[in-house]
Order: sequence, then structure tokens, then C-alpha cells
Amino acid sequence: MQEKNGAVLVIGAGVGGIRSSLDLAESGYKVYLTDRSPGIGGTLIQLETWFPDNQCELCKLLPVFSRDECSQVCLRRDLMHPNIELIPNSRVSKLSGKEGDFKATLNIKSRWVIEERCTACDLCAQVCPVEISDEFNRGLQKRKAIYVRNPQAIPNVYIIDQEHCTKCGKCVEICPTKAVVLNKPDETKELSVGAVILSAGATELPANQMGQYGYGYYANVITNIQLERLLADAGPTHGELLRPSDNKPPRKIAILQCVGSRDMDRNYCSEVCCMYALKESMMLRERYPDAQVTIFYMDIRAFGKDYYRYHLQAKEKGVNFARSRVSRIRENPKTKNLFLLARDEAGKSISAEYDMAVLSVAQCPSPNLTELSKVMNISTNKWGFIDTPGFYITHTSRPGVFVSGSASGPSDISETVIKSSAAACEAASILAKSQKQAAEKKTVHKHQTGKEEDVKIAVYICQCGKEISSIVNIEKTKEFAKKLPNVTSVEDVGFLCLPETLDNVKQAVAKSGANRVIFAACAPYRYQRLFSDALAEAGIDASQWQLVNFQEQLAWVHKDNPTLATRKAQNLLAMAAERLRTQGPLEVPTAEMTHNCLVVGGGISGMTSALSLADQGLDVTLVEKAGELGGHSRNLYYDLIPDNPQALVKGIIDKVKSNPKIKVLLNSELSGISGHIGHFKSQIKSGDKVEQIQHGAVIIATGASDYQPTEYSYGKDARVITQHELQKRLAEGKLGKPATVVMIQCVGSRNNTHPYCNRTCCSEAITNARKIKELSPETQIFILNRDIMAYGFKEQYYTQAREAGVLFHRYEPESEPKVTAGEKALTVEWPDPALPGSLEIDADLLVLSTGYIANEGNATIAKMLAIPLTEDGFFKEIDTKFRPVDVILDGVFITGLANAPRSLAEKIIEAQAAAQRAANVLSREQLTSGRIISEVDKRRCSCCGLCVEACPFDARSLNEEEHYAVVEETLCQGCGMCVSVCPNDAAKLRGQKEKQVFSMVEIGLSA
Amino acid sequence: MTKSATLEVKDGKIRQAINGFLKDLFAKKVVKAMLVPLAHPAGTNVVQALISDPANLDNADVYAPVMPVNSAKILQAMTRLTPTDRKTAVVLRPCEMRAVVELIKLKQVQPDNLIFIGIDCPGAYSVKNYPKFVSEKKTSDDFVKAGFMWADDAMLRAGCQICEYPYPLTADISIGMLGLEPGKVILQADTAQGEAALKTLGFSIDTDSDIAKKRQAALTKLAADVKERRKKFFAKTKEEIGGIEKLTKVFASCIKCQNCRQACPVCYCRECVFISPTFELESDKYLRQAEKKGGIRMPADTLLFHLTRMNHMGNSCVGCGACEEACPNDIPLLKLFQLIGSEAQELFGYVPGRNVEEPLPASAFREKEFEWIGEK
Repeated sequence: MQEKNGAVLVIGAGVGGIRSSLDLAESGYKVYLTDRSPGIGGTLIQLETWFPDNQCELCKLLPVFSRDECSQVCLRRDLMHPNIELIPNSRVSKLSGKEGDFKATLNIKSRWVIEERCTACDLCAQVCPVEISDEFNRGLQKRKAIYVRNPQAIPNVYIIDQEHCTKCGKCVEICPTKAVVLNKPDETKELSVGAVILSAGATELPANQMGQYGYGYYANVITNIQLERLLADAGPTHGELLRPSDNKPPRKIAILQCVGSRDMDRNYCSEVCCMYALKESMMLRERYPDAQVTIFYMDIRAFGKDYYRYHLQAKEKGVNFARSRVSRIRENPKTKNLFLLARDEAGKSISAEYDMAVLSVAQCPSPNLTELSKVMNISTNKWGFIDTPGFYITHTSRPGVFVSGSASGPSDISETVIKSSAAACEAASILAKSQKQAAEKKTVHKHQTGKEEDVKIAVYICQCGKEISSIVNIEKTKEFAKKLPNVTSVEDVGFLCLPETLDNVKQAVAKSGANRVIFAACAPYRYQRLFSDALAEAGIDASQWQLVNFQEQLAWVHKDNPTLATRKAQNLLAMAAERLRTQGPLEVPTAEMTHNCLVVGGGISGMTSALSLADQGLDVTLVEKAGELGGHSRNLYYDLIPDNPQALVKGIIDKVKSNPKIKVLLNSELSGISGHIGHFKSQIKSGDKVEQIQHGAVIIATGASDYQPTEYSYGKDARVITQHELQKRLAEGKLGKPATVVMIQCVGSRNNTHPYCNRTCCSEAITNARKIKELSPETQIFILNRDIMAYGFKEQYYTQAREAGVLFHRYEPESEPKVTAGEKALTVEWPDPALPGSLEIDADLLVLSTGYIANEGNATIAKMLAIPLTEDGFFKEIDTKFRPVDVILDGVFITGLANAPRSLAEKIIEAQAAAQRAANVLSREQLTSGRIISEVDKRRCSCCGLCVEACPFDARSLNEEEHYAVVEETLCQGCGMCVSVCPNDAAKLRGQKEKQVFSMVEIGLSA
Repeated sequence: MTKSATLEVKDGKIRQAINGFLKDLFAKKVVKAMLVPLAHPAGTNVVQALISDPANLDNADVYAPVMPVNSAKILQAMTRLTPTDRKTAVVLRPCEMRAVVELIKLKQVQPDNLIFIGIDCPGAYSVKNYPKFVSEKKTSDDFVKAGFMWADDAMLRAGCQICEYPYPLTADISIGMLGLEPGKVILQADTAQGEAALKTLGFSIDTDSDIAKKRQAALTKLAADVKERRKKFFAKTKEEIGGIEKLTKVFASCIKCQNCRQACPVCYCRECVFISPTFELESDKYLRQAEKKGGIRMPADTLLFHLTRMNHMGNSCVGCGACEEACPNDIPLLKLFQLIGSEAQELFGYVPGRNVEEPLPASAFREKEFEWIGEK
């Protein structure tokens, strides 16, 4: 067998690329993360908040274990992992080879700025004479030809826009670190990788293509990304919504959905825009309570987990909803107000005046994607998105190349994150057999200086050119620092971050015999790792040096008061010195790992997870309650994806059964579980027998139950059946040729009892309706619905169904259809909002779209593990968007219907995602935690248990025998909740001990 | 729904009747031990005693208006490490019971095998004032028969005067007198354990008896009265000690003896942080503080000590006033702790001692609370 490479190329550094990269990096693989743009973040970086809390929380993507390896600050500012090599400004120009052994050629466009010399001081941009429209803010402001894409970009390095640069040389002249080099040549890089993940994202349709809305002509017609920028605190208006024509706050705002999508040209649904619009409208209502916000829409496709509640929330917040597609916008040239022309559902003309109109423009494949698909020789669909044949929607036409995120079709964050973990899982499976090419470990010899008098502190103060030295009196500060206890040397340098300076410092430290170091410099999120690595080489452990932020915390905030700034500089130095004086070396605790996984539930989700783990060489115990594998999916015969579910499920069952790494326990149930990540102990009950197993992680894939309708005489009248039953009849050829079939959507869902959308029933109804039409073209089919959730490419099948003569009628939840059972037929009567009066149809068959309800058994499992359920009884993930398969208890993952309703293809990627999240920890030799973790002073602990209750990570428990609290070090995230609830300092945080902090505060106040 | 029995009181001798009931618990083998207030031979105090011989109960005096220590503290000492292995009755005042509930939540009292007997509490005098009561030849029977006078007896401890719950909230058996004619006593079973005990003693249990309803009605009325009384008291207290200047004056006489901490039933730490190495500082630190301010009060951190205690215990303050009693310099600690504590408790909708199942505010996580904080 050919030797495989332990590296993966990830193309596109948006949220998807970041997720895939971190997953692979955490599993120990080398990742090349490339992006065409100068920085990471993709579309996400333009947005500041999102569902469900309207907060950022991007940092939830960061690793939980070995967290000292990776940056642990804001992910908008920093992404550093020893296994990830970030290569911005690059394009893949060639991909040769095959799965397991690819050669990729990268063209790296020169910034004309040397990355390691740029300090992002902005002097260059200040002198640059060229002003052009800033694409990051979608033209809402200007930028220079030398610029940084967004504040705190990663990397935070300036770049020259070569197209617009006049090469006047002013930037070269002013740059204090000689970082600007005009005409610096581009570079090429050859990479050997085992797999490729394409997550190049999508782009918005240029809104001016939709001429009827006047975008580009009418100042107050903007796109949703522009609205996001206007609402962003870091945006051009600092979060204040001002309309472009007169900089006045608009009070009447229209949001137009499906601009450029769900039409003849792009017969797909853009999927993300409904949630975008709901969020934006709610933000507008919250920030400007007197603003009227109206969303013009065709269907509100809030189909994800808890999205329907969000929709209801928007209604509660007073957002207006108008079911209508706006046909055109006209501007009042004097007031620049906008007239919207549309027809409401009943056909009546609407003509209303608005201050501002926001276009939810379609997600389209970018020209870059077209280029990439050609270079990589992978096929695209008719709209130019990457084609994903069959049920494995991360697969492309080329083995070893996987796709995630919006590159294969519009995807929201949650779906992108799931797809990306799934793609990482596929890539990892390919690489699993090869030697992992983990980052080299730097050896650090620690100074075991216990006594305070042995502490020798070297202080380096960075002038940052004039940035710091023009505000802080460096000489005075140096004099002060020299007198501090244990300080043995104080130096100042021009730019500490420049390679040559850092090199000198490194050598000086090594020579001087100093065992503690203070760097008074800037931005920890940018330089922490650089400095840490340099000092490690000089023998200084990460816990034995301090970065004091003289830039942001001094030079910037005290620009107007140099005296105060200098005093504060002294205070900060004194505090840092005090911390180092009292700081012993902090070890990184480790714990042993049991390298196998328990998967509970043998449906498609559980089986897929099990196979994915086995493919990565991990042992799996798969527990299934029933006597056979397959779960719900065994009853699936058709899907909107034109492939055969039965063959898929059978294939997977066979693979699971024949895989030596997977132990299948049928007729078995999880009856007890204890322990924590790395060390779970479970009891599996099979009949009277109880088996004990030990495992490092657990995936819960226990599925859900079919909703048993009580509505519409189901169970009493044989002519009333569910969609599942219809599908079975169709497959078995037992349907016959009914004259009229009526389907009712949302039976038992999106109501008060089950206030969630089942996501799959619209697709199932369309699938079944098309199948009926295929078998019996003369059958009349009516689908009574509230919103058709034909998201993404499902839209085309919705269209096809309509073209095939399936009639879609709406009903309002307030007036649900009434069914009267006659001898010959079932009479269905309901008011269609589009038509006057009521409609009455005699049906031979009434099909109810019933969806799923959470298993009652969920509560038992949740109780055993002390993990929460959602209000609807499904397992609760940590974060719908960024950690969709993780739960609050580390090492426990949820997937499939136990998490939320999903389609077959979606279940597969989610199961792979859960497997990958589990593999991230299971593939480690040991579990390592951070340095800063909590500990217990046994003598003082009163064993009151407050810390146990307060710990959000279940890292604390009580030793009831000996009456003190204990910390599971690998679970502790160092948040300090225990310290804050403990009344007598028995709970301590390493590196933040109370006495140490007290004395720092005192020094800070008295210095 | 109340379940209760009437305790027969002969010739108006309440103390004797109650002691008879307590003895019966031994006789009928319901309990093997009892923590109960006994008259001290000196005659000048009534103290808690842990007894195994029921003969001691001749000296029991559960209504004597004095409470030298809060018995929750005693139960902590007894059961923190191991629960009792034999049935033990504990006769408690309501504030003691509430403190016990707080300590159960804090895992400082293990309630296994304990039977809690609560009393309707007419209040207590300071230990130093009790001899005066005795010297006037008054008895506990006289005291309770005079009616429950929290508001009108100026000699009562401040905490008693504003006590919000002078009746048991969570006892197994409540000895009830509130709202009843002088000399009438009911035994109310508030738990299955309490009911079983009363049945073993041969009491016939009535459900919602008239007399029990009468007491309930009195409790309801009391709630409204107390609310009003506390409101006035707090307004006055704020007037007296509100603001940093007045507060500083209040603590002027503090000698940082930490008696208040020692006496507080819910101040449960094995070793207070203020006597721990965290506060053992080198001379240099003191001098530096002194240099910074020109001078500092010694012993250092006197005010910090009280504020820290307030921060730690405010939510669990049951208002027993043990702190104030323990203070050698009459600092009005009860006033302060009740004023601040009750406001904090109200913020969390928390009543200390109300229910063992009610989580402590520090350990309860609610997704939505204090949403007004930070609102623009």
C-alpha cells in the first residue's frame, strides 16, 4: 500500500474552513488553511451577531482540550494552532495526484508588505493618496490602496491593492519597520496532502442584476450585508443605522426576501436569508423601537432547530410580515423615499412608502469557485455550485476532494459547521492509516525556582517606533522598573516583534540567567505565540513570562495624558513583576485516555458515526435497542435526492456488521453511565444480562419517535394515513390510482404543543406527490401548507412538483382544514388566504405530514449524564451554530433525530461530524488541560458543594468520605466560577491565587 | 392541608405538658436521643443539651425566652462528618430551624435520623437580660400566656421584634400556639415522619381541624403585620446607618474579635479566610498600605471583614441575631444583615430556610435573571 500523507489542504478560511482545520489539527494532522482573501473569517467576519442570542460567540469554535496550544482569545483576532499553517492571499493553481497522495500548487499573491515586519500601525494608509470603495463594508465607506481588510484582521497585516496602487512610494518612506516593498514578487508553494477540503463559500448576487429594485441608483436600497455592516459596532457608522441618502435614521424599513433566488434563473432557495432577515428585523426593533420593519417574503423558511421559535419571537417583537414578492421599487427623487409595488396574497395591490429597503440577495457561487472547480477537475451543478452526487453531500466527483459550507449550495452557519466537521472526518479517515504529522514539540527546560529571592526578572519595553514612546516616558519607566524587587535588567527596544530584535532578545535572555521575563509591548492576541515560542527557546516557560500591553492599554487610551500613561505603565509593570515573583512554574496536567467510543442507537446516524470512527482506527461499541440495525431509515424508500435510500441503508448495515472494529449489541440498552471524558463506564443491559464497558467518549444517536396524530380521525378512518405510510404503500405498489389525494402539512408541529418545524415533512410530501404523479398522472394532489420548507436545492423539486400539476394551497394556523368523513370521500374544507371564501375538496386519501417528537427515553439518558434537554425534549447542544453536536458534558456528542429532525443526507453528515468531534479527543494519547486550572485546599474546604453546583463544566465533585471537593483537571477550563462562590479561598485558580492577586492589586494601587 | 392533634394541657401548665410529650417520644421509642433546651442549674440560663436519659426532660424549658446559641451550629458540629445513627429529636426555634435548612443545603448538617420539632416562637431575650426575667419570678408559661408580643416587648432581641417567620417552616412536628387561646397547644405533623411519630404516641390526627385552621389564619394575619413592621424598621435603619459615613461610625467600635462570625449559624467555613494564610501578610505589605494612605486602621481590614461576611452570608441570613448578641460592643449587626440580606434575598426570590429543595442563589443557574442589568 502506498504511503499516505498526514496533511490536508483546506481551501477557504471562512467558518467552514476554520472548523475543518481545527478538527483536523486537534486530531493531530497538519493543515494548510488557505484563502484567496488577505485574512480569515469569510462572510462571517462581516457579521457581528447571529441566531439564537444575537451575539457573536465565534470563539465557541476553539478547542476545549490542549487549549494552551491554540490561541484562546477572540477568533476574530487570532487563530493560531501549531498544526495549522495559514496561507492567505493564495489560489490553488494545480491539483495532481489522487486520494491519499495529492500535490497541490499554491500561488501566493504578494502583499507588497512583509508580514513579519508590519505592525499594523496604519501610518502607511494615512499617507496613501489613493481612495477607493471599501468592499469589506460593501462600498459604504472608502479605503486606501494600502489597507487592512477589517479591524483586527487575521493576520493583522496591511496589504497593497496592486490594481489601484500608483506606486508613489509614500508608504515605503513612512513605514518605520521597512515592511513595505513595492513589486515584491509573488510566490509559489508546492504542498503534499492526503486530502483536500474545499470550503470556498458562496458570494452574494450582485444586487444591481435585479434592476427592478433600483439598487445602485436609489441610495436607500441596500443589501443585507450592507445592513449588517451598518448595524455592526465596527462598521462605518459604529452600529448606528443611518440611511445613505441623508444620514438620517430610517423609521420605515422594508426587507425583501428571495432577491435573485427562487426564480427562473436561480431556481433554488438561498436558505440563509430568512434567518438573516429575522435577526436583522429583531435587531432593528430592539435598537429602534419606533421603527416599523416589514419583511416581504414568500415562505419563512425557519426550519432548523429552534428556528421556528425565533420566527415567533420576531412576531412578538412587532416585526411585520407581508407574504408577497415585491415587483418593483420606485424612488421619490425629492425625499429619496421608496415606493414598493407588490400584490398581497389575495392579489390586492400594495403600494407603500418606505425610508429604506433591504434586499436579501441570493447566495451564488463565486467566480473563484468556478475557477477552482476547473483547476481541481471537479464537477459543478447547473448553477455552478460544487456537485455532490448522492447522499454523501461532502463528496465531490473527485475522490479525496471534499466540499463543505456554501460551496456546494447555500448553507447557514450550523449546517456549514456540521458539513465541515463531516468533511474533516472524511479526510481524517483517508489519512488515519498514515503517520500523523503533528507539530513538533518544543522542549522547554523549566526553572524550578521555588524561592522568591531566586527570581530574576528581565524587562523589555517596546517603543513600537513612536507609538508607545511618544506617549509613555520610557526613560522614567525604565528607572522605575529597575528598582522593582527581583528585576535584574531593563531594556528598551524599537520594535520587539521584528525578527532580528526578537532574536537578540532571545539570546540576551538566555545569556543573562534571567528566569522570568516581562515584555511591555502590545496586542497579546497577535504576539502571544510569537513571543512565547521565542522565550521557550530561551528557556522561559509560558507561565514564567508576562506580556504587559503598553499599546492598547496605555498609548492608545491615554493619548492625551502622557503623565498618567507613564504612571500607569509603572503600575502595570509593578503588578506584572509581582505576579512573576510569586508565580511558580505551572505544569500542564494530563490524564489517561480510553481510546474507544460508545455509540447509543443503531439507526443511520449511529451506524454512520460508528463506521467513521472505525475508519479512523478507533474501537466502537454500538448499542441498539431493537433486534436489528437501521432505525427509522429502514422505512425510507424515496428521497428528494435521486438515489435509493434502501440500498444506502442496507449497504451501511452490511459495512457495520462486517467491520471488525465495531461491536454491535442488539436488543440492548444503556442502563447506566458514569465518569467523564476519557473514562466513561457504562452498563449495557441486554435482556437480563448487564455488560460493563469502558469508553472515552459517547455518541448519542437514539433517534426520535414518529408523532402519532390524534388529528383528522387518524387511526379511526382508514383513508387517513401518514406520509411514512404513504411512502410504504407507494414502494409496495399498493396505492392504486386514487382520484384525489390531499396532504396536510404541519400536523402536530409548529403548534403550541410542538412549537418546532420538522424540517423533513415538506420534502417528504413533495417526494411522495411526485412519486404519485409518476405512477398515476391523473391523480389530483393538493398539498395544504403553511410555508413550504423547500430550502436550498429542494426548491427545484418543489417547482417540478408544481409543474407536474401538484396543487399547493395555503392555510393559516388559525383556521386549520376541517375534514368531514363521508361514505364516498373525505371532504376537506379550509379558507385559502389567496382565495375568497372556503375551498372544499373531496379526497380519497388524506395524508398527514406528521414529523417527529422527542423520545421519552431522552430524559433518562439526560439524567444519567446530567445533560440538558431542549424544551421540546431533544438533547440540547452547546450552541446551535458553532457546536451543534457537542453537549455541555465533554466527551458526549449528539446526532441524528435525538438532536433534531433532519433528512437522510443531513443525518449522515451530522453523524460524521459527531464522530469527528469524538475522534478529536479519542485519537489523543492523553488528555491535556490548560495551565490555569482550579485546585482545592483540602484543609480549608468545608465540602459545602457550592463549587460543584457552580462549575459549568462538571469538573468538580465532592469526596464525601473525606469531606473535600476534588477537581477533574482535564475538564476544568479555568473559568474561576468555583473561586468566586467559595467563601474561604479553599477553591483556588492556579496562576490567579487570591494572595497573589491581592498583592498585585495592592502593588498596582500603591506603585 | 394540615394534620394535627391537640396536646392536652392540664391546669394551664404548658411546660409540663410539652415535657410530657417529649418524654413520651423516648417512652414510645420514637427517639433515643434529643437535643433540647434545659434550664441550667444556676437558674440564670437555659441551654441546649444533648440527652439520652429522658429524666433530664424534667428540666426542659423550650419556651424560656432565651437562646444562648443558635442550635444549627451545634447540629453542624454533630453531623457534619457523619449523620447520627440513632433517631434523635431536635427541638428548635424557627430561626434555628431555618439555619439548619441552610446548613443542610451547604452539606454541613446531615439530617438523616433527625426528627425536627419546631415551636411557635414568642421571641427571646439576650442571655444577659434573661436573669432579669427570672428574677421577676416569671416563668416560660407566664411568658407564652401573655401572648406573642414581638412588637411590644422592648427587651426582646431586635431580631425577634422583626422576625418574619416566628413559626416553623419545615419541622416534622410543630408545637403550635399562635392565634390560639392561652393554654391551648396543638401538635402539627408537617411531614410523614412527624405524623408517624404522633401516631406512635397515640395521638389521633385530625385533618384541617378548626383549631389548626385558627392557627393558620393567625399566621396569615401575622404575615401582613410583620411586613409592615419590617418596612418601618428598615426605613428607620436606613436612616440610622445608611451611607458610608454612618456605616463607618457603626463599625467604629469593632475590635475585629470575629465573635459575630463564630456565633453566626450559617457562617459555616471550617477555617475563615480571614484567619487563613490569605490574610497573613508580611510587615512590608502593611507598611505599604499605610504609606499609600498615610495611615490605616489596625487591625487591618476590619470593614472588609464585615463586608465579606455580608457578601458570603447575606443571602442565607435567617435573622436570628446571634451575631449581634455575640458582639461585645453592641454593633447593630442584625439590623445591617437583615436590611441588606433581605433586599438581596428578594432579588433572587429566595427565602433562607424555607425549603431544603430551594437552591442557594449562588448555586442556582437561571437562564433569565437580572436582565435589567446593563440595559441602556
